[in-house]
Amino acid sequence: MTTAPRTTAHGEAGGDGASRTPPAGGRAAKSGRASGGRPPRRRFGTEAVTGYLFVAPAVVLFAVMGLYTIGYGFLLSFASWNGFMPHWTWVGLDNYADLLWRSPIYAPRVRSAGLNTLWVMISVPLLTVLVSFPLAILLGQARRMQSILRSVFFLPYVTSGIAVFFAWQYILQPDGAVNLLLDQLGLGSLQQPQGWLGNPDTALPTMIVVTVWGHVPVAMLLYLTGLQTIDRSLLEAAELDGAGWWRTNLSVVWPLLRPITAIVVLLNLRDSLQGFQTFLVMTNGGPGDHTNVLGLEAYSLAFLKQLRPTLGLASALGWLLFAAALVLALINLRALRSKT
Amino acid sequence: MRIPFARNVRLVALAATTALTLTTLSACGGSSDSGSDSDSLEMWTFKQSHVGALRAAAEEFKKETGITVTIEAYTPDDAYTTKVQSSAKTGNLPDVLEVHSDGEDFVLGAAGVAADLQDQIPDSWSGRFQEAIKGSGTVTAQKFKESQAKDSTFKGVEQGQRFSVPLSAGTFGIVYANKQKLADAGITKAPATWEEFLAALEATHHKDPKTGGVSLGLKVKSTGLTWVLQPMAYAQLGKEAYSDLWGKDKAGDFSSPNGTKVLSMYDEITPYWMPGSQTLTIDEADQAFAQGKSAFAVGGTFTLAFLQQNGMKADDVLAFGMPAPKDGAIPQRALGPIALTGLSLTATSEQPENAKKWMEFLSGTDVAANFAKESADLPATELGADSAKVLGPALTSMMESFQGTPETTYDPSLNDFRPPGYDQDRAGEILADLTPLGKDSPTGTGDKLSKLNSNYWATQ
Repeated sequence: MTTAPRTTAHGEAGGDGASRTPPAGGRAAKSGRASGGRPPRRRFGTEAVTGYLFVAPAVVLFAVMGLYTIGYGFLLSFASWNGFMPHWTWVGLDNYADLLWRSPIYAPRVRSAGLNTLWVMISVPLLTVLVSFPLAILLGQARRMQSILRSVFFLPYVTSGIAVFFAWQYILQPDGAVNLLLDQLGLGSLQQPQGWLGNPDTALPTMIVVTVWGHVPVAMLLYLTGLQTIDRSLLEAAELDGAGWWRTNLSVVWPLLRPITAIVVLLNLRDSLQGFQTFLVMTNGGPGDHTNVLGLEAYSLAFLKQLRPTLGLASALGWLLFAAALVLALINLRALRSKT
Repeated sequence: MRIPFARNVRLVALAATTALTLTTLSACGGSSDSGSDSDSLEMWTFKQSHVGALRAAAEEFKKETGITVTIEAYTPDDAYTTKVQSSAKTGNLPDVLEVHSDGEDFVLGAAGVAADLQDQIPDSWSGRFQEAIKGSGTVTAQKFKESQAKDSTFKGVEQGQRFSVPLSAGTFGIVYANKQKLADAGITKAPATWEEFLAALEATHHKDPKTGGVSLGLKVKSTGLTWVLQPMAYAQLGKEAYSDLWGKDKAGDFSSPNGTKVLSMYDEITPYWMPGSQTLTIDEADQAFAQGKSAFAVGGTFTLAFLQQNGMKADDVLAFGMPAPKDGAIPQRALGPIALTGLSLTATSEQPENAKKWMEFLSGTDVAANFAKESADLPATELGADSAKVLGPALTSMMESFQGTPETTYDPSLNDFRPPGYDQDRAGEILADLTPLGKDSPTGTGDKLSKLNSNYWATQ
């Protein structure tokens, strides 16, 4: 049931004829079913205005917060500005050229951050799928406390935030829980004396693990949803054919959930490409620049350059990331079409 | 099934929708009610440690003039900058801003956010400040030259313009030592040379390898460079050779023997960093020191206030300037005081005269003395003969590190020898690979720093 006037191509069954909304004013006039003594065209005009006014807040919000911001950001990518100066200095495509190859200051940093980002983009989706798929299978088959277990495994998603990343920092410190645990387990040689984020060799892998920890819940939920859509008869048929647990999951369930995997991979790729909050809070790109990623570099160019006129560079880098995300989305869409 | 709208229901819905739309639009607009009350002013600061002192001063100011001053703090610095940035766009700036002196004030001035105070600060006002910083906030010939560079952040300022008056003074490169840990390691006095400092570190670290090191917030990438390496290198090489480290000539830059020498000396600290220093912010590193996790901490004159906020007593610490190398070019190097923060009048203030009264009030000797006591920070105002009594032993000993001649004083505010657009964070990242990470040698680090500087010179 809806209380909103709906426009349908074929009219509607039920209800009183007097309240029916015609698909077009002319048709209503021809059908002669308009009621209330008002001319149909006038009534349609009033309803149209009503409709427009109802959608106005959303349109205005989108126009101001969406279109204006996007347009503003896009124009800014062709300018030099520090956020304070009264006027922008137009530089054409210089920002893009500087970031991609021309500037000896910015281009090497973008390349280095790009390499770190690439590692994150490869590792995070892969590990997320590797962890969340088996987890979803196991949870789907759990006989007891299934809802409690689901809630427990979903906790990282609902608690993710600045406070949790700070908590991770404490856990990973030289005298933090991870080193303490390793010591208790007699694995002292694996301890990191400078902390897991203080050693340049472990900092990026650690950040990848923390990112995966935050991404697994949603991926697991998607897989659980997918598992519920699988026809039980297919699984029973596999069992009757003698397939064991491993064989059933690998040869029947996994291929059937391939569209879910594609979505999980796409979401994780996008997050890995553009996300930087975890890195900003936990490492700020350090130690040195060993965990600098492209999203963080864009943020740094925008806000951490001591008011240098680098907002245009930040915007240009943002648009380059958008272009990369768009390409990834198109590739993924193509892959989805061909596999499903 | 459809339910028809009653006419009045539709009218109510229309009114609500219209109101929502207008609310949306008005939310996107700004308001400019700053200072609308003629008897009230607003001031923003980024220093949490100054808030109490400023509010206490505001109470005194109200008693004297009847004008209310509201103090608001926005921290950390980056959040403050963003707040000022967005408020400037929406017309919501306060009347007075606390700013980083001789940098941020010029940026705000160039953008028209800070008002030009040229010829508005009489001698009776500027004469209250310490001699070395009395002109802080003024665009000098050197600063005007810097403003002409391609990537200058304050392009457009004119020589002689003034965009702030100093509020607090001090310097970087102040070492704080935990007296108890020094005593436990058999050390009874502050190290006088770089070598003695390293020996003291060795002693405290030997006594307790976990908590006997030195903490510094190396997550903020330039701290190792600007607070340790630079004051030490200045003393080791002397003013000219030190400046040459950032010059175009490879014979004197970081890849030269001079560069390798100072980088090697800086690398000597490597065994003594508090574990994980590279992952800590400045505040976190200072907190670690206050909690007894390190024997030494490097900071600035402003660090004492933070240590006290974290439960450390001034009597528990020994504070001294970063010691100079024994055989360096300037063995008795001083650390030059600079204006650390200043007060800017916003161009949009509706009560500029009242705002200036407040700014001048803060520079009064008694008010500044109270400010120092309350905030444990050095005021820009000259406190005269009573300064030792007002400031206490820790701040007074820091002020002793200021005593030197122009040739023997390291001035952290001088940048004219560096390439325009130079970003010390990039240099700090390279330096981190030398120490504490140990991923590079002094020679390799010198080559990378030299290349970085060459790149900056090349872009001009």
